[in-house]
Amino acid sequence: MTFAQGPLVWALVVVALVAVGAVLRARAINVKLRRNHAELRQERDALLHQRDELHVVHNTLLQRQSAELAEVRKDAEEETKAVLKAAVRTLQGLADEQQVVIEKAQRKYGDDPGILADLMAMDHANSQFGRRAQGIAVLCGGWLGRRETVASVFDVARSAQGRIRHFDRVRVNGQVNFSVVSRAVEPVAVVLAELLANATNYSAPGTPVEINIQAVPTGVCLIVDDAGLGMGQEEKDRAAALLSPQAAISVSSLGIPPQFGFAVSGMLAARYGFRVSVDSVSPYGGVRAVVLIPDELLTTEAPPAAPAEAPEAALSPAPQGRQPDQWQARAQSQAQPQHQAQAPSPAPAPTPLFPPAPQPDTATQPLAQITTTAGGLPKRRRKSPVSAVPSTEPAPVRSNEETASRLGAFQRGTRSGRDTTTTEGTEFQ
Amino acid sequence: MTAPGEEQQVSSGFVRSYVITGGRGLPDAEDLSLVTLVTLAPDRQPPPNPSPEVKAIWELCSGGYLSVAEVAGHLGLPVGVARLLLQDLHQQGHLLRRKAPPPAQLVDRKILEEVLHGLQVRFG
Repeated sequence: MTFAQGPLVWALVVVALVAVGAVLRARAINVKLRRNHAELRQERDALLHQRDELHVVHNTLLQRQSAELAEVRKDAEEETKAVLKAAVRTLQGLADEQQVVIEKAQRKYGDDPGILADLMAMDHANSQFGRRAQGIAVLCGGWLGRRETVASVFDVARSAQGRIRHFDRVRVNGQVNFSVVSRAVEPVAVVLAELLANATNYSAPGTPVEINIQAVPTGVCLIVDDAGLGMGQEEKDRAAALLSPQAAISVSSLGIPPQFGFAVSGMLAARYGFRVSVDSVSPYGGVRAVVLIPDELLTTEAPPAAPAEAPEAALSPAPQGRQPDQWQARAQSQAQPQHQAQAPSPAPAPTPLFPPAPQPDTATQPLAQITTTAGGLPKRRRKSPVSAVPSTEPAPVRSNEETASRLGAFQRGTRSGRDTTTTEGTEFQ
Repeated sequence: MTAPGEEQQVSSGFVRSYVITGGRGLPDAEDLSLVTLVTLAPDRQPPPNPSPEVKAIWELCSGGYLSVAEVAGHLGLPVGVARLLLQDLHQQGHLLRRKAPPPAQLVDRKILEEVLHGLQVRFG
């Protein structure tokens, strides 16, 4: 039995030993594998972490790159604008200079219809050139140039009319007794000119384009109507986007050939505080564009005397000579208002070569009335002394009341000139 | 963007002359010469909605005869433009025109001598 059991036991022992050995080895392997696995997992986690980090870095780099790209683009755009602006500024100056030269020539050679017609054609071309230059200047953040004096709304409309090619198709209707303040004169004229250019370009040749001037409670409207085909919804949306005050306009996005009418209008309107809209339909079927000039940009101040005065004064050596004379003549004519107020127009009076014209009752008129007419044009007549030599006659003697009332009138006049909201009565009556 | 102070000043005229004429052809210089005198016809009403220039001419000419050159000078417009506006008003019957007074004729020397002689005979 033992013998029989002996080898079996041994065999079992051996098997058991082998099994134990195998188990031990397997365990060892298992442990090793586990460790490996843990290591690998750790490594993987580390790598994953690294990947995430890299991802973040990549993202930040991407962001930085796009930011830098945008900045570079912006810089490039700004540089382009700066260069264009500087170049165009020269052109603007030259156009203005040329305009002055042409004007002088027109006055000098005005007697010859042939020459005058040619000069007018040059003037017309130059005006359009000037408007284009102004448009580019505005898009580049530049300025239009500043006018020193106010201009009546009617004249602003006519000035705009003169800056487009087909000015003869434009009709200006309606006049209001308002002027545009000097700083807004050019902007409104340029915007109106752009709208007129659109209106004439996108309507059949020969059809009229109308500007209607209307006073509204918040200001004055300039309504441009054309008889074209109108605009589609897409065009209207684009126009509205360009005209909105927030519109960001880049010079490169205006297409070739650049269509910058609306962009210019939008920028100027936002900068100077008036409104432009093109979303309505004109009664003639085309587009109705409306410029609303608010009260802040309007004044009741009458436009200054003849526009010719400025260049003339610049030429003549003694520009001051005329003005005091005029005042003096006025003062003298006021000294005998009873005579003149009743004088009929072409009175066959024996002595005066140039009979005095009927005059309004100057005592009740503000001073502005004295040198200009209701239409804002100079009231200069031949009867005023022509000589530039100051009169040696003693000033007419006035009573105290007369002096007081004249001073009062002067004060009222200057106040009403400075004050746009008319303060009638109470204070001054 | 530049400050408003850096703005250039615009000095050219505001309303162009071809806008005032409406792009029409200009009349001949012979039609209304520089020295032709014009004045308002009596009892005329100004046209409805006159342009500022027409209004100014109306007021200038209501004071008596004025030459074409003077009207243009007062308006600050080229003569050709003023001429066109005056011609319009004339054609509408608002303006009277008259040729410039002829320059004074020189008196014949012989007559002067005879008068001198006569005076000398009588008083001399």
